[in-house]
Amino acid sequence: MDYRNPSFSFFSILTIIFILCSIIIIPQISAVEYPINVWPKPTTFLWPNPIAILLAGNFTISAPNHRYLTPAVNRYLRQVLTEHHLPLVNPPLNLTSASQLNTLTVIVADVTSQLTHGVNESYTITIPSSGSTNAILTAETVWGAIRGLETFSQLVYSNPSRVASGLYISDVPLFVHRGIMLDTSRNYYGVNDLLRLIKAMSMNKLNVFHWHITDSHSFPIVLPSEPELAGKGAYGESMRYTVADVKNVVEFGMEYGVRVVPEIDMPAHTGSWAEAYPEIVTCANMFWWPAESQWPDRLASEPGTGQLNPLHPKTYQVVKNVVHDVATMFRDELYHAGADEVVPNCWKTDPSIQTFLSKNGTLSQILEIFVNTTLPYILSLNRTVVYWEDVLLDANIQVSPSILPPENVILQTWNNGPNNTKKIVDSGYRVIVSSSDYYYLDCGHGDFIGNNSQYNQPPGTPQDDGGSWCGPFKTWQTIYNYDITYGLNEAESKLVLGGEVALWSEQADSTVMDPRIWPRASAMGEALWSGNQDEMGNSRYAEATDRLNEWRYRMVTRGIYAEPIQPLWCVKNPGMCNAVH
Amino acid sequence: MFTIFLLCSTIPEISAVGYPINVWPKPTTFLWTRPQAILLSPNFTFSHPNHPYLTAAVNRYLRQVLTEHHDPLVKPRLNLTSALPLSSLIITITDVTSPLTHGVNESYTLTIPSSGSSNATLSAHTVWGALRGLETFSQLVYSKPSIVASGLYISDVPLFMHRGVVLDTSRNYYPVEDLLRLIKAMSMNKLNVFHWHITDSHSFPLVLPLEPELAGKGAYGEEMKYTAEDVKQVVEFGMEYGVRIVPEIDMPAHTGSWAEAYPEIVTCANMFWWPAEVKWADRFASEPGTGQLNPLNPKTYEVVKNVINDVATMFPDSFYHAGADEILPNCWKVDPLIQTFLSKNGTLSQILEMFVNSTLPHITSLNRTVVYWEDVLLDSSIKVSPSVLPPENVILHTWNNGPNNIKKVVESGYRVIVSSSDFYYLDCGHGGFLGNDSQYDQPPGTDPGNGGSWCEPFKTWQTIYNYDITYGLNETESKLVLGGEVALWSEQADSTVMDPRIWPRASAMAEALWSGNRDETGKNRYAEATDRLNEWRYRMVTRGIGAEPIQPLWCVKNPGMCNTVHPFVS
Repeated sequence: MDYRNPSFSFFSILTIIFILCSIIIIPQISAVEYPINVWPKPTTFLWPNPIAILLAGNFTISAPNHRYLTPAVNRYLRQVLTEHHLPLVNPPLNLTSASQLNTLTVIVADVTSQLTHGVNESYTITIPSSGSTNAILTAETVWGAIRGLETFSQLVYSNPSRVASGLYISDVPLFVHRGIMLDTSRNYYGVNDLLRLIKAMSMNKLNVFHWHITDSHSFPIVLPSEPELAGKGAYGESMRYTVADVKNVVEFGMEYGVRVVPEIDMPAHTGSWAEAYPEIVTCANMFWWPAESQWPDRLASEPGTGQLNPLHPKTYQVVKNVVHDVATMFRDELYHAGADEVVPNCWKTDPSIQTFLSKNGTLSQILEIFVNTTLPYILSLNRTVVYWEDVLLDANIQVSPSILPPENVILQTWNNGPNNTKKIVDSGYRVIVSSSDYYYLDCGHGDFIGNNSQYNQPPGTPQDDGGSWCGPFKTWQTIYNYDITYGLNEAESKLVLGGEVALWSEQADSTVMDPRIWPRASAMGEALWSGNQDEMGNSRYAEATDRLNEWRYRMVTRGIYAEPIQPLWCVKNPGMCNAVH
Repeated sequence: MFTIFLLCSTIPEISAVGYPINVWPKPTTFLWTRPQAILLSPNFTFSHPNHPYLTAAVNRYLRQVLTEHHDPLVKPRLNLTSALPLSSLIITITDVTSPLTHGVNESYTLTIPSSGSSNATLSAHTVWGALRGLETFSQLVYSKPSIVASGLYISDVPLFMHRGVVLDTSRNYYPVEDLLRLIKAMSMNKLNVFHWHITDSHSFPLVLPLEPELAGKGAYGEEMKYTAEDVKQVVEFGMEYGVRIVPEIDMPAHTGSWAEAYPEIVTCANMFWWPAEVKWADRFASEPGTGQLNPLNPKTYEVVKNVINDVATMFPDSFYHAGADEILPNCWKVDPLIQTFLSKNGTLSQILEMFVNSTLPHITSLNRTVVYWEDVLLDSSIKVSPSVLPPENVILHTWNNGPNNIKKVVESGYRVIVSSSDFYYLDCGHGGFLGNDSQYDQPPGTDPGNGGSWCEPFKTWQTIYNYDITYGLNETESKLVLGGEVALWSEQADSTVMDPRIWPRASAMAEALWSGNRDETGKNRYAEATDRLNEWRYRMVTRGIGAEPIQPLWCVKNPGMCNTVHPFVS
């Protein structure tokens, strides 16, 4: 399309000026409740005279040609013409008497920007109240344009399609990294589940799918250089991700503006590797916590033992093949290398490690050997490495910061809430926040361990938080209200890249993926995009409730099984389900 | 002959042995001296007496055993007998006329020979017992081509005759197909009562011929109603699956939705449930959604009688659940008539007695046994005298204080259905649903406590499995415990989560109430049940029920490796 068309520019600028002028005289406009909303709430949403305009039957989206933007445009065009969404509360919006809206013009300043960490996702949208002008979406990058298209799609509703009009939105995320971690090792998820997850993430303007692919339980990814890992370590023939599957997921992510960051957890959480290579894994297939040993002396943090042996040369042959294949299959510059929960006694079962320790060596030195042998190799493939915080903060086994260059290493925190976030940034590292007290979606369903007598106490025994290590359940409000820069100064806050909610899959698989993740991930989606406070600096969770009800409903109609947060009655009777105490 | 042979082989404690293939809920007696399997002949048939519901079930199970081809997670170590394939299961029923009703005999015996030259036999007193036996048979069939465990004898009878699930379709709506899938899954688990909490303050989805305006104005929308045809379909479907449908029209509280059609008969409707200036005890409803029927308004009874007549016509079951939970004093006190009554030294309990006295006889006159929530007798402020609740016509349904209230109810001479919220409430553990709730906006480091829903924490399948519903009762008292119901209240549930919220946790109750939660030596068998439940949950999923996983698949494939051998220290 020709976006330098002078007549187009003239009208669009007039429209913007008109809308901007009307705003100045309406203070705090975005604190006003709008009849139709966008999730996550945009940074700036100016709508002085709420009204709606019909979409023309031959409505089009004109946009620059681009490998990934074009499929997105086609998808959104189909959606706005056929979704015919009926909100739970019918928006009290009059239709403008002006002619219909014919075109949304998408202008992208730099169509060459890659989908990468920190890419500019900002955009602006102007939707005029008269069909004689076009709606305009401007963005720095195609990825910002995809965010804007999602916003536009959420402003469209009814049958025939109409769109909120007379408005101006200017939007930019607070945090560049907004993700979901899914564990596909403890239980398997079909590729369709992963694609649906990415689709729902894009609806919520989340941009990173952190795929915790492997763990001690199964090794579902088929690697060309190491086919035996999945050949023997996957749960079964039908529970693997082939090269073609991964390509499908990565490409799908590109079309939805979602990066796919792979995690091959190591050196712990590798029991499944032992099916193919028993010699490189210590303590594999041992009982995780024998009766005679204390909790610190268990062999794994949960059932499913096994840690790579850093003193065995063969380990590095396999690891390098794995890293190489994974870096080839996943193009993202972030590579998650795990490094959580290295348990002392698992390594101590190995004779070569015993010998090393008997010569005054330490387990931390062994971990350093592993990191020093693997990290440079990953970096040589032009990757930034993400490690779980344990690599630096574990109480027993950790490495010196000197071997983790902050320019190449990002740490992901999951323990101790803001305390660990602060420790990490104080050490000079960038941090991704997944504090388990807030962002762990699996918590609150009790313990999965078998033969657990805690659920067989006499009636009347307090049930406390229910027995999962990170109970209770994290409600959407808990997630929404979490301030991931809590207690940090401005300089420290800049090292906080964003956050990821995490679904560990001890008690999750296909059957519960959607409702465990949604709409709680939407809560983080908004908190990290435009924040959890209104213009006055007050927490806006109360106001967010009605919007989230509507948004959850819309996700359901779009095929995402998000769980309900309230009776429908509450949506239809705004405010009546509130607590005022 | 074959049965006798099996019975004579003396293998003590046989059912404590871990069998290569299992049935959920575990049968009372399962003798399988030499585990083997036999091919099902492609021409395999059931021979059975003609009966409208049995025939439908037989056709369904025949299709299932020939086409399910279930592939267990852990492959059963069973040799195929070299004998001829099994060609027939012969069903004999002592009394084909017994209707599906409370207390109907559900026992059956099943014999599967290791040689195809004889038939498998299923004998039952009633059609409904035969249905249970058919389910058992279907769970013993697996693989492709279909093979069935053989050389076995099962004799099965439930410990408790009332084994149910409560689903609340008022707070959020569930389409009919969800209800049918629920009934189907219940039947797989040998549960026999779908207690349908149809209406509440939030919506009135049931279309009643005599009172069409109740749903016309009180349903969430045109698409969110149950028509008379829908109900008929649900009831008939239940019959084909051996699941009774017990309707509940909750009243006199939990009736805010009635006010859309009849504002004059509902007190405090559409008021804010808990105003800032009042104490918790003075709120208008136990949760958002206010409204209670006014027992002093004659019009109330006109509507209520129409409702009861219609519901009793639509639902043939002999049980009618009439609610009577959570009556809040202040909701009635806003009404001038009631204020006048109280000013003349009347009490709220007297008002409730009037309501019960004006409605209970009508329901019982329709040949119904009435189930009330325990509140009608045990509520601390508004309750009736036991004298207005004849124990022969009234059953109480407990949900508070675990075994303590069960004991109170049976000591008062009533039969009891157990839904103790500390054990059987499936909705607990997902936090509070209230809007504007500041408890989730505390500074980091604040103790989150148990998570904030009133009945926290989440009830795990083990919590449900281990609950002994006759805890602390003597033998006579225990006889008044009819059974139990797990309950899904729908503040935070609808279609999207129905299956995983209910299953496999309702399966845990199903086994505990069918054959118990202990082995032959009296020891709790939850540890042994874990592997069986993993397999059963997986089979339910393959049968189209989205039951949630209870462990990583790794645990199933590595039996015992996910256990703890350390005692729990609180």
